[in-house]
Amino acid sequence: MSRLPLVAGGLSLLLVVSLVVVALVSAPGPASEAERVERLAAELRCPDCQALSVAESRTRAAAAIRDEIAALVAAGRPDEEVRRHFVDRYGPWILLAPQDPLAWWLPVGVVLIAITAFGAWLWAGRSRATGRAAKPVPSSPADGDRRRVRDELEALDG
Amino acid sequence: MIPTLGHAAVLVGLAATIFAAAAFLLGARRGDAALALLGRRAMTTAFALALLACAAMVVSLLTHDFSVRYVARNNATTTPPFYSFISLWAALEGSILFWTLLASGWAALVLHRFRHRLPALMPWVGLVLAIGLAFFFAVMAWPGDPFVRTTPVGLEGNGPNALLQNHPFMGLHPPLLYLGYTGMAVPFAFGMAALITRRTDEAWLGIVRRWTLVPWIFLTAGIVAGAWWSYEVLGWGGYWAWDPVENAALLPWLTATAFIHSSMVAERRGTLRVWTHALVIATFVLTLVGTFLTRSGVVESVHSFTASAIGPWFAGAILVALVGSLGLLVWRLPELGDTRPPGQPVSREGAFLFNNVLFLGITFVVLFGTLYPMLREATSGERVSLGAPWFNGVNAPILVALLFLMGVGPALPWGGAAWRTMRDRFALPLVAAALTAGGSWLAGLREAAPLVAIAMAAFVVTIMGEEVVRGARARGRARGEAPPLAAWRLATRNRRRYGGYVVHLGIAVMAVAVAVSATLSSDVTATVSPGERVTIGAYTVTHERVVTERLAADPRVVETRAELTLAGPQSGPLAPALRDYPNSSTLIATPAVRTAAGEDLYVTLLAHDPASGEVTLHVFVNPLVVWIWIGGGIVALGAVFAAWPDRRRASASARVEAPAESPAVASARLATGGSPDA
Amino acid sequence: MNGRTLRWLVVPAVVLPLAWLLVVSLSRPVPRVGDPAPDFSLRTLDGDTVTAASLAGRPYLLNFWASWCVPACVEEHPVLIEAQQRYGEDVTILGVLWRDTPEAAHRFLAEYGDGGWQHLADPGERLAGAWGVIGPPETFLVDAEGVVAARWIGPLTSADLPGLFAPVAVLDR
Repeated sequence: MSRLPLVAGGLSLLLVVSLVVVALVSAPGPASEAERVERLAAELRCPDCQALSVAESRTRAAAAIRDEIAALVAAGRPDEEVRRHFVDRYGPWILLAPQDPLAWWLPVGVVLIAITAFGAWLWAGRSRATGRAAKPVPSSPADGDRRRVRDELEALDG
Repeated sequence: MIPTLGHAAVLVGLAATIFAAAAFLLGARRGDAALALLGRRAMTTAFALALLACAAMVVSLLTHDFSVRYVARNNATTTPPFYSFISLWAALEGSILFWTLLASGWAALVLHRFRHRLPALMPWVGLVLAIGLAFFFAVMAWPGDPFVRTTPVGLEGNGPNALLQNHPFMGLHPPLLYLGYTGMAVPFAFGMAALITRRTDEAWLGIVRRWTLVPWIFLTAGIVAGAWWSYEVLGWGGYWAWDPVENAALLPWLTATAFIHSSMVAERRGTLRVWTHALVIATFVLTLVGTFLTRSGVVESVHSFTASAIGPWFAGAILVALVGSLGLLVWRLPELGDTRPPGQPVSREGAFLFNNVLFLGITFVVLFGTLYPMLREATSGERVSLGAPWFNGVNAPILVALLFLMGVGPALPWGGAAWRTMRDRFALPLVAAALTAGGSWLAGLREAAPLVAIAMAAFVVTIMGEEVVRGARARGRARGEAPPLAAWRLATRNRRRYGGYVVHLGIAVMAVAVAVSATLSSDVTATVSPGERVTIGAYTVTHERVVTERLAADPRVVETRAELTLAGPQSGPLAPALRDYPNSSTLIATPAVRTAAGEDLYVTLLAHDPASGEVTLHVFVNPLVVWIWIGGGIVALGAVFAAWPDRRRASASARVEAPAESPAVASARLATGGSPDA
Repeated sequence: MNGRTLRWLVVPAVVLPLAWLLVVSLSRPVPRVGDPAPDFSLRTLDGDTVTAASLAGRPYLLNFWASWCVPACVEEHPVLIEAQQRYGEDVTILGVLWRDTPEAAHRFLAEYGDGGWQHLADPGERLAGAWGVIGPPETFLVDAEGVVAARWIGPLTSADLPGLFAPVAVLDR
């Protein structure tokens, strides 16, 4: 009986993670031409807009690029070649997500370092606390009662 | 006459704020209450003068006084009164005037509110607020004079920017946003005052937390209103483009949210004071940076006002504010207590702090993405840009982690708990997540982002539901109340916690709505002649006719309207239009949007051929978009509930006057059930 | 330095990079009428090099355009050809490619007519950045002393030409 929550929780977590992984991995499957055009259009910057993609913009230049993407996809070119075609034609700025590695790795790196440093700081605090004052962990009151007591205290606490 | 009055009001306002600063400074150093009172009176006068100046500008706009350059540039004889009124904040100088009005209002309010309390602290608070206000009055007196005249006086004005007179939301979004921005000066002033007077105890934190929460509500509402405006007006079917000015509004919101969370840890444990101070400083400085980005012409944006001499002034203000506040913080560093980590990593403290790390992570990413193009251009001369895919891609994992933490955090007790007791609590929420994710999968949903968002939302909502039910049941049994009444009583006695639950609920709703609308929208572009139809999903859009006429409200504007009929789950007329404003070289598209609970039908008129009556339409089906706005409303309501003073405040306020307590006394108070609330 | 003094380093450590950023961002002034025009050294589509110095002594006109900028640049093109006919004896007209490739430019000129003036390639958008160009078409007029005489954002029409060239007082032939 006491194992049930652990098993249920664990299986549920596994299920959610698997579904998400499958969704992530299976997405770039054989997509229809229209979907490919849409995806590629979302990656290209509209030349005479502020921060909009060719898929979102309604200017004539954007429409011309959309038509060109459609023509290339219909001619059977793979996605990477289509992207390269536009980079060659317009320049690297045409891609909304630049291939500049610094732009990707610097912020990702900083955030990861911050999280690791934080985790280390938390962990260090933990071992120090247990070393300093040994708090006896009350084991006899049932969880429900402990929760009730805590809730009552919190209710007064605010 | 009236513009001269307005300009005079600005000059007198400058004098009043300088006078107030002097009075506060002397009053603080001498402990002279009379001087502090004088300072307060001067600040109230400054607010009245700002009000007068704004009134003068509004009158000039409504009467189309083109002798004022601002009116000549932003108003026309045909501008409807509503849009004339809101032109007050539509362009550079007027927006600074409006900002000053709101900032002086906050200052007068907080100084009045605390006029009988904290006599050692308030003069310093007043000093900081007075200096800030003096800066804005000075900007209006010199580089950014809203009342500067123009000769010769034209017979007709330029009219407001076409994008800004298209939708009544322009009356909502800037005021809400500015109320949020300007309000963040108050916690900053309290922070500085606390550092100067060394009263950096929990009492300060309690005050600052509440006075951060209120501007935070406005900032949240302002950002969501901006997204809603963008969606209804700009015609590209989206609501957030990671535009530099959008980012500028988001940055202080992120640090303020981080502060609201870590301040709760600091209040309970008496630690982390340096961190909370740093966050308050960062929030205020970021509001100045945001204002700088919008007004200096430094970034290209649909928002940015034209470049002007104001840029260097704001740059200077940012540096002065940063040097002053950081210097104060470093000076008082030894007295701000320890920076020990909380005892247990798996605890509410740990979760709140991790929340801070993640929020600061997003702040860094957004700041980096906004400044990177500028940096590249400065160093190598190359122009690059980072767009939505970059922002979304880098932020997505952090946001997912935050959503997860939003569920886990409130379930963890203060001080930590053993893993064994904790893991059982997450069983039911995880099952709920699996059921909703599995159910969505079976219903055909195969996209990762919505699946994650839905699973997270179910997780969060279940945990919160369990907490509420458990608490209500416990209280009901103890006091013999029926569960719903018990739940309500519990909520009103624990406004912070239950308000927080509502806010998190709103965030969960928004997360699902954003994930679904971003990945599951569909659209089609088609050119149709009158009588032809466009099909998308279950909808059919039939093109009836094209109508070209002048707007009744503003006859200078020529509108070309495609009158369409919609059939399907929603039905009725649709009229997307293209408007030709005389002061704009491009046509402004006004989309037609039909909103229902499940999805929006959104049509933009891209082009029309007058000869054949053909129109090119871009038709979108955007699922769940309305829930983004509803979610935003839930967040705001939850925060209002959390910030609402409860009846016990009368007795709690007595504790505010108590001298700084040592952490030992504070924890003894906590243990005996007294309230640490202030 | 002990810990007490060391911690003060935080202030310049945070403030100085920010100050640099602010100064850098503000010192990109867009040349206004009366300011000196930005210097440049760029190659034409034919491979020759043109510098601002080589243009001194005569007013010159820079027209930033792109082959994909429809319909504005298409509509403006005949106006520029007209400008070349009317003022070309006294003013050097130069096109500058903005976010475009030479091949596309050649195709455009083949279709809409080559007015006979040179076109510069601006890799990395440095000249465009110096002028503060946000989008095509934008036209700038520089007088014989190298001072900015006029700025025009958006497509030119025939009626705009006399007003545009008035500051350099050249003859309308």
